[in-house]
Amino acid sequence: MRLLVFLTAFLISNSSFSQNYYLYVAAESDDMVSLLRFDGSELIEEERFEVGVMPTEIEGPHGITVDPNGKYWYLSLAHGSPYGTLTKYSTETNKPISSTKLGLFPATMQISEATGLLYCVNFNLHGEMKPSTVSVVDPEIMVEIKQITTGAMPHGSRISPDGLYQYSVAMMSGELFEIDAITLKVKRKLNLEKMNMMSSGNHQMNSNHQMGGNHSMKMSHSMVQPTWVIPHPSKKLAYIAGNGSDEIIEVNLDDWVITNRINVGKGPYNVEISPNGKYLVATLKGEGSTGIWDLEDLSISKVLKNTTKVSHGIAISPDSKYAFISVEGIGGEPGKVDVINLKDMSLESSVNVGKQAGGIAFWKISD
Amino acid sequence: MKNYILQILFLTISLSGFSQTKTIESDLMDLKMNVGDTFTPSSYVMSSDGSTTSCDNMIYYNKQGVFSTAKSIQVDNESGKIIANQPGLHEVVAVCITEGGKRFSRTFVVDVQFPAVKEIKISLNSDKVYEGTYVPISYEVIDEMGFVRENVNFSIKSSNSNLVVDDVNNIKAVKSGNVTLNATYEGITGTLNLDVLKNPVEYIELSSNADQARTGDVIQLKAEAYNKKGQILSNIPFEFSFKGKSFDKSNTASGLIMNDGRFVADVSGNYLVTASLGNVSVSKALNIYERNVKRDVVKVGTGLVNDKHTSDFWVFEGVDGRDYAVTGTWGADGTSYFWDVTDPSNILKIDSVQVDARTVNDVKVSEDGKIAIISREGASNRKNGIIIIDVTNPRDVKIISEYTKNLTGGVHNLFIYQDHVYALSAGQKYYILNIEDPVNPVEVGMFELGKEGQAIHDVWIEDGIAYSSNWRDGVYMVDVGNGIAGGSPSNPVAFGNYNYASGAHHATYPFKSKSTGKFYTVLGDEIFPNGIDVNAPNETAGFLHFVDFTDIDNPVEIARYELPGHGSHNYWIEDDILYVAMYSGGIRVVDISGDLMGDLYKQGREIGYILPGDKDGYIPFATMSWGAQLYKGHVFYSDWNSGIGAAKVMPVKPDNSKVNQYLN
Repeated sequence: MRLLVFLTAFLISNSSFSQNYYLYVAAESDDMVSLLRFDGSELIEEERFEVGVMPTEIEGPHGITVDPNGKYWYLSLAHGSPYGTLTKYSTETNKPISSTKLGLFPATMQISEATGLLYCVNFNLHGEMKPSTVSVVDPEIMVEIKQITTGAMPHGSRISPDGLYQYSVAMMSGELFEIDAITLKVKRKLNLEKMNMMSSGNHQMNSNHQMGGNHSMKMSHSMVQPTWVIPHPSKKLAYIAGNGSDEIIEVNLDDWVITNRINVGKGPYNVEISPNGKYLVATLKGEGSTGIWDLEDLSISKVLKNTTKVSHGIAISPDSKYAFISVEGIGGEPGKVDVINLKDMSLESSVNVGKQAGGIAFWKISD
Repeated sequence: MKNYILQILFLTISLSGFSQTKTIESDLMDLKMNVGDTFTPSSYVMSSDGSTTSCDNMIYYNKQGVFSTAKSIQVDNESGKIIANQPGLHEVVAVCITEGGKRFSRTFVVDVQFPAVKEIKISLNSDKVYEGTYVPISYEVIDEMGFVRENVNFSIKSSNSNLVVDDVNNIKAVKSGNVTLNATYEGITGTLNLDVLKNPVEYIELSSNADQARTGDVIQLKAEAYNKKGQILSNIPFEFSFKGKSFDKSNTASGLIMNDGRFVADVSGNYLVTASLGNVSVSKALNIYERNVKRDVVKVGTGLVNDKHTSDFWVFEGVDGRDYAVTGTWGADGTSYFWDVTDPSNILKIDSVQVDARTVNDVKVSEDGKIAIISREGASNRKNGIIIIDVTNPRDVKIISEYTKNLTGGVHNLFIYQDHVYALSAGQKYYILNIEDPVNPVEVGMFELGKEGQAIHDVWIEDGIAYSSNWRDGVYMVDVGNGIAGGSPSNPVAFGNYNYASGAHHATYPFKSKSTGKFYTVLGDEIFPNGIDVNAPNETAGFLHFVDFTDIDNPVEIARYELPGHGSHNYWIEDDILYVAMYSGGIRVVDISGDLMGDLYKQGREIGYILPGDKDGYIPFATMSWGAQLYKGHVFYSDWNSGIGAAKVMPVKPDNSKVNQYLN
């Protein structure tokens, strides 16, 4: 019996070494998406495929996500005529299945496990400084069912762990938005500017709230320029990348107040939390590095230089072992994806992908 | 072990037996509404055992998406309240979200009923109706709410035997006299009283401005009708038709004839053109010969770029009197190359600049050869914009300034004209910059359509008129200094527009025909029917639309240049010759002299072509021609896979074939 237990343990421990981590990364200036596999020691580009339909236009694949059951991946193409596109692909064939038009410069997105709906921010990166929208899509039949008006340049669409709320930040109006994933209405918004530290900042919105042209008239450019928000996997907290103010902002979601601001490196852009709730990982776009913080006390654990310039996206493996970082590069340089081992805080491997690697999404762990 | 497996199997089967299939039931089922009605549905969930439960989290939406919502029906996502705006069948989806993220949905068809028909208008599209002719009429069915019905299948009846209506509602006047035409639909009848006139024509004389011509030549026919007294009859609605036999027995005679008597043949052969009114007709034979404009087009030189894709180019005379070119690159590292093309057979790369971009899609040079402007897409700081370059010495070009304000979304195309830059912004509008001081460009104007979903692909300036290519909105002619509409760079004023159904309008070239004096805009499509493979040859589609803009308020699309299997891109026109990059079809040289009508390619107007694909190209042997420019007698071109090149259209060879011996 002891022998049996030993053999079982041996097999299980060994089998963990043969695990492969799969993820997708989009190359915004190449109109390419790469499928990557990490075997625990080396990151390999398994396949690279073209996306978009207009070859002589850069359509700019920006946001990418995999649905919770792993059968499909979704890609937002930022540029269109003029509206961007959301395309649904099969993870089995990596071929497109269907598409729908969204708003201007659709970017980050995620599917709620509670509603099954996809929530994608229309970044409108190059548009006028006026409120843009979050598109809600039924991915089953790829229909955009609503555009919810939020702030100027919304980015960083992330869903609460219970799937009932969608969070995004408005980069140029400096606001955090909470959308009820079922009523499809903005529930709350929070001013993220520095004068708002520990203030209530509570802008409870009634169900008839509409933001029209008047909002843009009053709008001034945010100093914080938030670019990402990630809710904590188990606590009622969210963390925001203050790209303009070089800080990570902690928000208490129960009280809807800012509870902490920590100074980080130059230009934090994306921020994610390991599923075990231990680490907060942020790309520091301006300095081409990635920072890792201990979420217990928000103390810095490590800042690692990425393998090229302009650090962008983060995907953390569900087992909280690895963080995969997309790094854009500049001009004709290839984009890169770096793997960071979160246990020993080291750069494990790196691989070249298409130019301006940005959106990155974890797909699966498999033997 | 075996028992354990059996137990699991039994448990699984047992549990599955208890699982219920759930569906959404709703009074949306078979719902019929009238325009203007509102309806708030009541929905619930039914299990396969017949038990029902309410759904706490139900989301409703219009399956058409959000863009068309206002035009058809509006659906409140939370309550499901529907407002019916337009008649027709509309799909409403109800999604029930249960705990744990399980969801099920059902689509319901809501029939917003057409209001009752109120009126049927019938109108006659001719001044007079003569015995023996088909009656040209049109209908309009208007309902009680003012909606116009489309595709209505009428019941049409004539009040007497003066008209005969066939099974597909063609109406022929067979006897003279008064008659009433009744068109009935949904119990409402529209009437049209006609007086079918006796055919007064005893005979017709048919003449033409030529009895023999070349393919593509437009022949003007003139028909004159006479009565029994030999008097000329006026305002006779002749019907023109033709038939023919090709000289080549394996080919089919084809052409186009218009109601005003213009005829053009595509294929050489004997044609018989006919003018008729009822049963009186006359025909005339026309002999059509080959256009015979073929000339050799030979490659003269190439400036190979094979480590990256090449985009647009511009050839110019430098301040030193020598000839130079600038080329952009696509999906690469932001490099532009400068070339000495003084000797087109020896194109020399003489300098380059690299900017923070992945694509330099467009390049242009000022009229005086001193300033180059290049566009940026894919800048790492996402500011893009344009770069202004001093090209006074093309062997040592220097960046003067960068301009990004309002251009951060990427500049796909641009133009330089009289110290102003016209730069596209994020594919939606163009900004006008004064660059009299190129170090400090100043925004002085902006042009946009000002409509939701506005999009633009290109802008070209000539004689103070900006021609913007706005995809589905077609070409916009904008006065930016011409004076025709009082415009200026700081006050661009639109005064002309034409669009077409495909919505693929990508580039415009204004063309005043030297041989006819007519003014056209030549509008090019850009279509990739199957997307693209950047490492392999690609399928392209689309063609050039020739729009006669001689009457600016009434533009008429009259001809096309369509190369089967290959799509159009950028082009140049000079001395009634078109030089067009047809992507995979290479560089084509086309005779567009004389009146234009119909399908120019079929008419044998093509003078010649080259395929720039190069064995050492980025994709070996793959032709993907981007643009063409006639410059000092040479056809310069850029090719996506091979860089820049020059070709020469050779002189006409002496024709000893005697094929055209009968032509003047």
